[in-house]
Amino acid sequence: MTNDELFAKISAKFPKIDKAAVPVKDYLTVRLATTSDLVPFSQWLKDNAFDMLETVTATDLLGPVDMKGYISQMNFNPFLPEGATPQIVAAATTGYPYKPAIDLLYIFYSVDLRARVFLRLEIAREGVSVPSLVPLFKSADWQERETFDLLGVRFDGHPNLIKILTPDFTVGHPLRKDYVHIKDRFDE
Amino acid sequence: MSNATTQELKTDQLFINLGPQHPSTHGVLRIGLTIEGEVIVKAVPDIGYLHRGTEKLAEVRNYHHCVVLTDRWDYVSAMPNNLVFCLAAEKLMGVKTTPRADALRVIMCEMNRVASHLLFFGTYGIDLGAYTPFLYAFREREMVLDLFEMLCGARLTYNYIRLGGVMVDVSPDWLKRTGEFVEYFKPRLDEYDTLLTYNPIFMARTQEVGIVSAKEAVDWALSGPNLRGSGVDHDVRKSDPYSGYENYQFDVPLGKTGSCWDRYFCRISEMRQSLRIVEQAIAKLPEGPIMASGVAKIPKPAPGEAYAHVEGSRGDLGIYLASDGGISPFRLHVHAPSFINLAMLQEKLVGMKVSDVIALLGSIDIVLGEVDR
Amino acid sequence: MAMILEKLPGLTKGLPGGELLLTTSDYFIDLGRKQSMWPMTFGLACCAIEMMASYASRLDFDRMGVIPRASPRQADVMIVAGTVCKKMAEPILEIYHQMPEPRFVISMGSCANCGGPYYDSYSVLKGVDRIVPVDVYIAGCPPRPEALQYAVVKLQEKIAKMTLKKGLATPQQEKGSRDINA
Repeated sequence: MTNDELFAKISAKFPKIDKAAVPVKDYLTVRLATTSDLVPFSQWLKDNAFDMLETVTATDLLGPVDMKGYISQMNFNPFLPEGATPQIVAAATTGYPYKPAIDLLYIFYSVDLRARVFLRLEIAREGVSVPSLVPLFKSADWQERETFDLLGVRFDGHPNLIKILTPDFTVGHPLRKDYVHIKDRFDE
Repeated sequence: MSNATTQELKTDQLFINLGPQHPSTHGVLRIGLTIEGEVIVKAVPDIGYLHRGTEKLAEVRNYHHCVVLTDRWDYVSAMPNNLVFCLAAEKLMGVKTTPRADALRVIMCEMNRVASHLLFFGTYGIDLGAYTPFLYAFREREMVLDLFEMLCGARLTYNYIRLGGVMVDVSPDWLKRTGEFVEYFKPRLDEYDTLLTYNPIFMARTQEVGIVSAKEAVDWALSGPNLRGSGVDHDVRKSDPYSGYENYQFDVPLGKTGSCWDRYFCRISEMRQSLRIVEQAIAKLPEGPIMASGVAKIPKPAPGEAYAHVEGSRGDLGIYLASDGGISPFRLHVHAPSFINLAMLQEKLVGMKVSDVIALLGSIDIVLGEVDR
Repeated sequence: MAMILEKLPGLTKGLPGGELLLTTSDYFIDLGRKQSMWPMTFGLACCAIEMMASYASRLDFDRMGVIPRASPRQADVMIVAGTVCKKMAEPILEIYHQMPEPRFVISMGSCANCGGPYYDSYSVLKGVDRIVPVDVYIAGCPPRPEALQYAVVKLQEKIAKMTLKKGLATPQQEKGSRDINA
């Protein structure tokens, strides 16, 4: 089924859901308005042959990444003069809509229909939590843990929301754009 | 042990660590097992011992530099990793690759699938106690790696598939040698069948172990031979063809019950199909340039998002790439098949015996570089 | 046996030309040690695959006396092959201390030498020599299996210089392994 047929079916049931402003190229991308839409929509997708939740991840839209999140070494390249910056420094692009929000991404796939739906949901950086999809799809388990670990998104109803990838002594959420690396005992 | 006896005996639970350093050569994975006798009561996989933060590093690397980072995810088969990143970046930049580059990419990915499954075959044998198949498998794997070294200079992390095409063109000599390798390798697969596949001990250890039903497999979002071993017909090369895969004829082997043996047999059969694809690709190799025009030295794609996925050797490897117009990606997320396939361990291991843990873990065929990224 | 060997330098110190007696025992002890190095399988990442390739059919490591042992208690040398992440640093230390002396460390690959391609990452240790003393460094990403075998040859040359005068264990390990004449 094509993307337009699919979107027609979706808007028939959920009229508030709209196509995303910036779609992922060649795929149907819809944007949810509120976090309370997430579970009903996912349940509807699961009942309508979209029974595989492939990906749960998020993007931090704050701005270009802070270079203090990386461990840079003085005069790393011996062939460069003192003070020159050997590595790429992230710079802001004029006109790109940076905003202090986190944009979640869910990818649903249907094995029978061979179709894929991308779901975007924007939430604030602090203080909100998203309902977890673990009761519906078991594959959300570790992916939500990873999103929590690296980006700080809290999921309500997750059975075991603890760190999964970063070591215990890492303070903060590394994939956030304003992450500043705090020296631990292994950095000198 | 009958129920009556277990109620009379007072047993105690023991917590043991499987790893992070263990001889089963999958890398640094730790599973905290709580066992009662020989039966596992609770299993907690602990990953992150190889977490290098490539998703964050990609935000301060050039697009061309990012290709170097991609090699190291699934380091056993590095070509599909390069390919998936290049497909996503090419979608973002709006670059169309030439037919010759597509065909070369297909040849490299399929040869790499053969090399990767050979490594799986060898190490799975070692895990279960059979030391001989390892030497046979590596004998052939060295031949594949020789071909790759002849082509691009590297044995393991190739960085061959670049943005817009491939790095260097193949010579007719290379194509001839690859054809000779394919002819040499076909009877070897029958030899491996006599070694391990129909071995009664191997079958007894793997056929009743780790059964994953089709519904469970889809719920856990497994991919690759793990999904196909349970009978679900999902192969990215057939459902979402890329790089010209629709021009080649090949079958997708499926398993029946979803046991470890089924997943193992899927991988062995996939090697045969890969050889078919390589033969067809070499025969139909079109002429032309290998690099598309329009790829800048420092690419700055317009703001947008793209998703590309390929059938890697471990499963469905996907990349989500978002650009804000700068020289580095704004967000790079890897849909890593090994990470997602491994999640089912925490549920599947409960109730199994300790000796079956290695059989199940080996049959999922994880590579820790992909799990931890 | 070890107790006798320990006392030998003290006994021969008084004798004129006593050191000469020790050189033959040095030679045979070092011969025994270097021709049967048993590494512990410590493959972390991509370099582990090249390490496995060096054990396999084409470049057999067994011809040099090198047999992989899974347990650190039975191993001589630890080949750190792959990226050392900070989460893994403490297990590496524990395993290093579980190895009986004399023990050696080979740092294989760019990530174990200095952090490698992940030099600015928040979770990668910039080289395993920050936590354990390293005897041989192998450059490469990943280094060829022949490079690993050459590193073992170099380590054998280094072991051949060990003498009983300095004790049965390897004091150069404690002081800083780059200085072999210390």
